[in-house]
Amino acid sequence: MSKVILEVNELTTNYVTRFREKIYAVDHVSLKVEEGKSVGIAGESGCGKSTLALSLMGYYFAPLHYSSGEIIVDGRNISGMDPDDVRKTILGREISYIPQAAMNALNPTQRVINFIEDVIQAHYPKTTKKEIYELARERFELLGLPAEVLRKYPVELSGGMKQRTVIATSVILSPKVLIADEPSSALDVTSQKMVIKMIMDLMNKGIIKALIFITHELPLLYNVTDDIMVMYAGQIVERGTAEQMVFDPIHPYTRALMGSIIVPEAGLRDVKLAAIPGTPPNLKNPPSGCRFADRCKFVKPECRAISVGLRDAGEGRAYRCIIPEEDLRKAYQSEG
Amino acid sequence: MKGYRDYFLRKLGWFAITVVVAFILNFTLPRLMPGDPVAAIVARMAQGMSNATGVQAVYEQYTELFATDRPIPEQFFIYIRNVLNGDFGYSISQYPRTVGEVINASVWWTIALQFPAIIVGWILGNTLGAMAAYLRKGFDRVLLPVSLFLSNIPPFGMAVILLVIFAVNLKWLPTSGGYRFDMVPNSSWEFVWSVIVHYQLPFWSIVLITIGGQAIGMRSMAIYELNADYVKYARFLGIKDSKIIRYVFRNAMLPQITGLALSIGTMVFGAVVAEIIFNYPGIGSTMLTAVLGGDYPLISAATLIITFMVLIAFFALEIIYGLIDPRIKAAQSE
Ligand SMILES: Nc1ncnc2c1ncn2[C@@H]1O[C@H](COP(=O)(O)OP(=O)(O)OP(=O)(O)O)[C@@H](O)[C@H]1O
Ligand SMILES: [Mg+2]
Repeated sequence: MSKVILEVNELTTNYVTRFREKIYAVDHVSLKVEEGKSVGIAGESGCGKSTLALSLMGYYFAPLHYSSGEIIVDGRNISGMDPDDVRKTILGREISYIPQAAMNALNPTQRVINFIEDVIQAHYPKTTKKEIYELARERFELLGLPAEVLRKYPVELSGGMKQRTVIATSVILSPKVLIADEPSSALDVTSQKMVIKMIMDLMNKGIIKALIFITHELPLLYNVTDDIMVMYAGQIVERGTAEQMVFDPIHPYTRALMGSIIVPEAGLRDVKLAAIPGTPPNLKNPPSGCRFADRCKFVKPECRAISVGLRDAGEGRAYRCIIPEEDLRKAYQSEG
Repeated sequence: MKGYRDYFLRKLGWFAITVVVAFILNFTLPRLMPGDPVAAIVARMAQGMSNATGVQAVYEQYTELFATDRPIPEQFFIYIRNVLNGDFGYSISQYPRTVGEVINASVWWTIALQFPAIIVGWILGNTLGAMAAYLRKGFDRVLLPVSLFLSNIPPFGMAVILLVIFAVNLKWLPTSGGYRFDMVPNSSWEFVWSVIVHYQLPFWSIVLITIGGQAIGMRSMAIYELNADYVKYARFLGIKDSKIIRYVFRNAMLPQITGLALSIGTMVFGAVVAEIIFNYPGIGSTMLTAVLGGDYPLISAATLIITFMVLIAFFALEIIYGLIDPRIKAAQSE
């Protein structure tokens, strides 16, 4: 087993709304990312993927608050650390993030290189502008971006170019872990491919050591990540290798999510397209039993009564359902 | 840079068109006013004259002098030629002074009053608005209603309020004029001091009105910018808040420059009103006398000067704005 770069144990975080209600958007989530590995996180809109990303970076700015659990980055426990210290010592340097709206992530009135200067000097104040320019140019060229981009304002770049500029900027300090939050969702198919290839390059070229890739399109992860976790209403409902999750899902939600893909990936074209009927529960007061019960085809009366933890299915797989694995598989078979 | 040149030329084109239109309006509108101003002067001149033919002669002489007997288009071309030569003709109500003299005696008072007041109001308003957006809480809770109040009282209201409080009730400052009425402009300390004292109320009435509108605009721009994605992204990469705030205020400030251009028109109007209320010897008061006296050469010239000042300020701001905001530059080159 190789070295664990990021370990999260039973992490719970919450938003506090204007009306002082607490929303537990990340609920007892555990995950481990080893060196050289990539983990995908999939789930419908609003299930807490972005919140999980912020939470595991230690990015706690109102209204998001840390509640309980542990975050260990490269052997260092950062849970409960002061957000300002996190900013100084972790963000951008140990863990970096490509935000969901990467298109608007750059300050419109600042040249790309000036922003990169600010990023680097925030962590290494003594670096000179010349050194920064050299470093940025080298890094951009390594990632297939022309060096002229550095002198441009974001408004002068196309959408796909902006996205790639943000990616290159996010990894300018060679962080150990990169979290990419739906980095391709707003793009056309060609740019999507380019962006995904670029992110995989970051791993292959050793710029980052581990990757967390967030998307609502589960099948997209098949070619991108080693492992996949599926989230539903703030909780993990299933985890396994990409192969297992895509071709042999156990949890009814994972299965449904596989059927609701938007852009079929090569080799997955025969998967039928269907949105999952119903809507996820309101996280302000989630149901007491299984959170997916209302939308589950295989629901039983006890589902709503008993809340079930993640059940081990061997080989690092786990799923959150009171129906045993064999019974679920049988049900899927009879369904065809 | 080509994009910016096009932007510049287009703005310049619009500037030229606006100037021409303003020029035509300035000429025609006062001439559409009812009443025969020449008859009014003659009536004043001819007081005590019993000879009807004498009165008639005076009338004809003045009609010729002011060229009011010619067709309006012809008057217009004469007017253009004269204006280009810096000759605005004679003032009717203050005859025999020329319009040029009358304006020259008042326009500097206006410029010295309005420019500093508008700039000070703009800077204070933007600073306060930015602080309200960043600090929120108590500061914002006080500033917002106060600014809303300030920006909603009409200009004369502000002038009257200050007048009543500081001049009439407290008697700290004089009620009217640009200096003590019994003084003749000179360079003595006494005169300068008198000018400073008389300057305060009109100045602050303009500043306060400007602050209100600018603070509200800046506050909402800054709140919007503080929630922008680039703010979060900069945090994600570990940049300090003190640095991020600089991005935010710069970005929020840039549209406020257009805001300044747009509101200069209203501000000048407000400032003119303030001059009238405080009987300040600027172009606003001159205009009031001109209107009351049906003095259309003076009205035309005064409006023209005011319009010019507004248009030039407007043009200059847009040109600067296009230069410093890359968003405008990029939008032009697309
Ligand atoms: N600032 C906030 N204040 C209160 N609640 C929030 C806030 N941001 C998110 N939430 C709630 O937290 C839950 C998770 O949101 P999150 O953005 O993490 O979802 P997501 O899985 O990333 O969705 P998407 O695919 O749309 O990006 C949502 O139910 C949302 O309503
Ligand atoms: Mg999200």
